[in-house]
Formats: sequence, C-alpha cells, structure tokens
Amino acid sequence: MTKKVELDLSPTRRRFIKAAAAGAALQMTGPFLISARGEQPVKIGIDDCLTGTYAAVGKNEVIGATLAVEQMNKKGGILGRPVELVTEDSTSGDAGTAVQKARKLIDRDGCDFLLGNVNSALTLAMADVAYEKKKIMVATGGHTDAVTGAKCHYNVFRICNTTQMEANAVAPALIKNAGKKWYFITPDYAFGHTLQSGLEKAGGKLGMQKVGGDLTPLGTTDFSSYLIKAQAAGPDVIVILVQGDDMINCLKQAVQFGLEKKVHLAGAQQELEPLLGLPPEARIGTWVFEWYWNQPNVPHVKEFNAAIKAKTGHMPTARTWFGFAAAHACALGANAAKSVDALKVAKALQNFKLPPEVALMPGVPYFRAGQNQLIPNQWVGHAIAKGSGGPEDLFHVDEVVKVGEAAGTLEESECKMQWPS
Amino acid sequence: MSQVLLFNVFNGLIVGAFYALMALGLSLILNLSGVINFAHGGFLALGAYLAYTLLPHVGFWGALIIAPVLTAILGLIAERILIRPLYGRDPLYSLLLTFGLAYVLEDVSRYIWGAQSVPFSIPSWLTTPLSSQFFFLTGYRIFMVLLVGIAVAGLFIILNKTRLGMRIRAGTLDLETVSVLGVNVRILRNLNFGLGIYLAGLAGVLAAGMLGLQPTIGTSLIMPSFVAIIVGGLGSLPGTLLGGLLIGVASGVTTVYFPSATEAVMYVMMGLVLLVRPRGLLGEEGRVQ
Repeated sequence: MTKKVELDLSPTRRRFIKAAAAGAALQMTGPFLISARGEQPVKIGIDDCLTGTYAAVGKNEVIGATLAVEQMNKKGGILGRPVELVTEDSTSGDAGTAVQKARKLIDRDGCDFLLGNVNSALTLAMADVAYEKKKIMVATGGHTDAVTGAKCHYNVFRICNTTQMEANAVAPALIKNAGKKWYFITPDYAFGHTLQSGLEKAGGKLGMQKVGGDLTPLGTTDFSSYLIKAQAAGPDVIVILVQGDDMINCLKQAVQFGLEKKVHLAGAQQELEPLLGLPPEARIGTWVFEWYWNQPNVPHVKEFNAAIKAKTGHMPTARTWFGFAAAHACALGANAAKSVDALKVAKALQNFKLPPEVALMPGVPYFRAGQNQLIPNQWVGHAIAKGSGGPEDLFHVDEVVKVGEAAGTLEESECKMQWPS
Repeated sequence: MSQVLLFNVFNGLIVGAFYALMALGLSLILNLSGVINFAHGGFLALGAYLAYTLLPHVGFWGALIIAPVLTAILGLIAERILIRPLYGRDPLYSLLLTFGLAYVLEDVSRYIWGAQSVPFSIPSWLTTPLSSQFFFLTGYRIFMVLLVGIAVAGLFIILNKTRLGMRIRAGTLDLETVSVLGVNVRILRNLNFGLGIYLAGLAGVLAAGMLGLQPTIGTSLIMPSFVAIIVGGLGSLPGTLLGGLLIGVASGVTTVYFPSATEAVMYVMMGLVLLVRPRGLLGEEGRVQ
C-alpha cells in the first residue's frame, strides 16, 4: 500500500507575503450584479454601500428606493413607461469601485437617473460621473457640503442635509445640554472634516471653545486610545462625529469606561441603525435626526412605516426615507419636465416642492434653486434606551427645527451653479 | 502628556493582547498546515454571533464557554470537507479557498442575523472601571487579558506537554518524517485546525463585548493579526504574542502624536521588520528562503 507523502508544505515568508498580496489584490475587485434588460423601461441606477462599514445604512437606502419604484409603477411609471431599479454595490470606501459602478449603470445598463451614496467621498466621485455623462443624480445620503456647495452641478440634487445644516441645527442644543468646551472625535474623510468645521463655525458663534480633536481612520475598531486622550483634555463634551459601526464601537467603549459620568457624550448626526446596534446603556447623548419614523400626526407616515415594516420587519430609518424620496424625486422631475433629459429635469426641479406623500414630514421641503439642496425639517433630541413607541423608538425629539431655520443662505453654500448653454 | 502616553502604552498592551489571541489561532494553522486562513475573521464573527444567540439562554459565561466550542466544531467540519483536499498543492489554492470562505461566512452571518449591528451586552459589573483615574482598566478588559494569558498558557502546555502538542510541533518542523513515523497526519491537521478556530471563536465572543456586532466584525480584525504574525516572526508562537503586543502599543502611542496614522503605523512596522529582519523578531531562520 502506498501512502501519498506531502512534501514541502512548510510556510515561508516569501510564500506568505506573495499569497497575502494576491489576497489583497482580490479584495480590490467587487462582485458584479448582472441585471436583465427590460423592454423599454426608464432605469434608475442606485450605486450604494452594500458591503463594509456602511452596509446596513446603504441597504436601507436601497429598500426605500425599491418601495418608491413599486409605488411609481402602480401609478403609471415615468412618462407612462415602467420603471426599473438597478442596484450596484459601491463598497463603503472605495471611490474607484463607486465610479466604475456608476459608469456601468449609465453606459451598460442605460440608466437615466443615478442614486447614491452613503459615503460623502463616493458621492462626490459619482457626481462627477453624472455631470460628465449628463444624467440626473439625486444624492441620497452623502452629507459633505461640497456636493451642493463648492462642487455643485446643475444636474446633481441632494436629499440628505449638508453637514453645515446639521451643525446649525444641533449646535445650540449641544451648548445648552452639554457645555461649551468641545473635544471632537471625527472620521478622517470628507464628511467628518466638513461636519467638524461646520460645528466649529456654528458653535463658535455661540461661544464654543475647542479643547482638542482627533481624526480617526474609517473602520476604526478600538477607540480606547482616542478616549484616553479626549478625557485628558478636560472637555465638557466629547463630540462623536464617527458614523455607522464606528459610532457603535466608540460609544460602547466610552460607556464601558464610565466616561458618560464624567463628561457628556454627544454629537451631531445620529441614526436609528447605530442606536439599534448599541446596548441600551449606551443609547445616550444629544443628536440631530434627519428623519424619524415616530411622527403620529403627519399624513402618509403611518402608511410608509407599514409598507417598510412589511418588507423588512423593521421601522424605516432616515436612510430608508432618503432612498425613497430620492427615487421619487427622479419621477417627479421627469413627469414635470415631460422628459428624462437631464437639463429639462434639472430646470423642472428648481424650487420644486415635495408632495406630502413623499415629504413625510410637517411643512413643505423643497429643492433650493441655484443649489439643488433639499431644505427639510430636522429633529433635535436625545437618544433613549427604550421609548413608548416600541423597541425601535430610541430617540426622544426635543425640538423640530423647521424647514429653512438651519439651512443658511445660498451664498453661504458657496455653490456657483453653471448651466450648460 | 506623559500621563496620556503612559495610559496609552498600558492600553496598547491590552489591545495588543487581543490581537495576539486572534493571531495565535492563525499562526497555529499556518505553521502546521501551511494554510493562510483568510476565513479566520469569518469564524470569529460566527463565534460572536453564536454567543449572541446563546446569551439569553445560558448567560454571558455559558456563551463564553459554549460558543467557541461550537465554532471549533464548525472549523473541524470545514477543514475536513473543504481544506483537506487542497493539502499538497500550492498554498495559493488554500488561500483562494479561505478567501472565498470568508465571504461565504460573512454572508451566512448576514443572512441569519441581518446586516444591522445587534446589541451584545456583558454583565454590568464587568464594565465598571477599577478606578476613576485609570478608567480604561475596566473589569472586562482585565478579564480579557487574563483570559488571553490563560489561553496562551494552555496552548503552550498543550504544545509542550501533551502527545498531540509534540506531534504538532514535530509536524511543524517536518511533516513528512512525522507521517513516516506513523502519526496520522490528517487527524493531526484536523485537530490543529479546530484548536486554531477555537481561539478565533473565543476572540469573537470577547470582541463582541467591546465592539459593535455586525457581519464584518472579523474583517476589520484580521489584518492586525496578519501583521502581528509577520512582525513577531513566522513559525514562532511567542513571536506572534510579542508581535500582537508590539502593534497594540505602537498604535496606542501613535494616537498621542499623530492620531490619523494609528492604523498605518502597524504596516510601517511590518515594512521595517521585513526590510531589517525579514524572518520577524523571533522567527526561525530556517523558514526564510
């Protein structure tokens, strides 16, 4: 009987590094989702974070857009044509992949509209593609100011707030509830930089004093060393600006260290997704929500909540609404312009007011002309371990900042819109 | 500043101990079987999620004991079905397989438990800091370091005092001769893989207590573990432990002076070690070609 002898299997440094390099190279390529071509539908492409640190929030944007497309098709679609949603994974931080997918959606799939992205840097990169390809893009959830500010384009609209709008809304509450000495923990990319500078600007007007701040790489797991530094600086409040899973890691560790007993832990943008992932004792702090599901007296919200709950088993989040409103904005613009041509749709959407069944909030949010930024309500309040509205009611609204109150002026946005001749 | 620096050195040791726990499992598998297990992070996530599922029924301590064992059993099955047929081929094959397996495990976790982070609570008395000044020394973190210590000690006892351990060590040096001497190499590799995955499962439960629990929890932790192995020296378990501690401290100290480079510093260290001492700090010379 012969036995197979396995030779030379000892790992070597060279082999190990070669293999690791091959593995790293593989990580650069993402999976393709191939979708079938329909007869003559109007296609809306959504290029959003479906893997990585923003996967959960990215998926919620896709779910919102999916519901919107279903509703459109029930009401005759866009210009009488059926609507199809084509989904692509942009990854959570790779601008190259996001751009490649945006080009694929427009060139290969023939999408007339582009939606996305959770990540601000990826949103900016996609906006450049949309501008080059002359297609309408409705940015769902990338908050950095430049998208509808210094780098605005006539054909790029945005649903979520700018970081400056969020900062303007939450800064007075932070000063009032937490104090004037602030230490920032900020994600090291476009969104974090502009949110911090927005807070410094808005807080500065109210007497805020910055005692320090750290930029943390996206996807940081261990925040203990930053928290040690922050606590040593003696702030009134540690302003936590990291998002998604990073926010969960940071808040969870801060509360385990008992820091909430020494300083305030708060921030600006907060969302339902991270609050759901936190243990109850870490659901604390003053924050701003851009949309919240528990609005008992606002028309159409109940139906929207029920439709999303039927799809996912969960309440909608701000992200679900971003995707929903962004997809509807494409249809509303095209139907108003009677065309899917980017220039015509863009002109039709100037100062366009969202109807109540899409707005899902009190007041009348609208796309500000000359900037293409939606000017909505904002909800300032504090996180709670468990509210009266069920296990997903984790935010207590202290104040609704009404349409326009925290939006700043068009000049302040630094958008200088160039229209094609 | 000096106090912040000192705190961060201590804190870095705690974080490093955790990296070491994960890296030790990787290192065990790599040393004996030559498999670069990219799916280690996936098993870590499975361990964490199994603990999350068990938590309401058996409590934190029960989950801490049972979840890593269940993860190890899954590891044994994966080795038997998927990895065993690839022994004897270029390590690239097993790397590609485990790379794919990592995605499969991540998606399985996502399918069963959802993409959304889930709240994983630990007993409240464990989260209490020992003193107001040394607030980063919580009961949980000290417990974690103790557990890493116990796991490392247990591993060294197994490797040095038991027949299985002696065979694993002998196999690491010369698998062919061990095989010729009548040792069932297949079972040896299987048990060794299970032991490595047990450590991944244990690291998973501990990580879920500190971090948000979502399907990608292992992905973010696997690279520091690879770096720990390279810095410490391929083939050396004490080296892996040292590598883990060193990168933890280096990250902590970098936070004080240049916070946005806390991750990059690990890779700079790795580059320096490869340039100056390619076999790693405690690596065995014979393993470098």
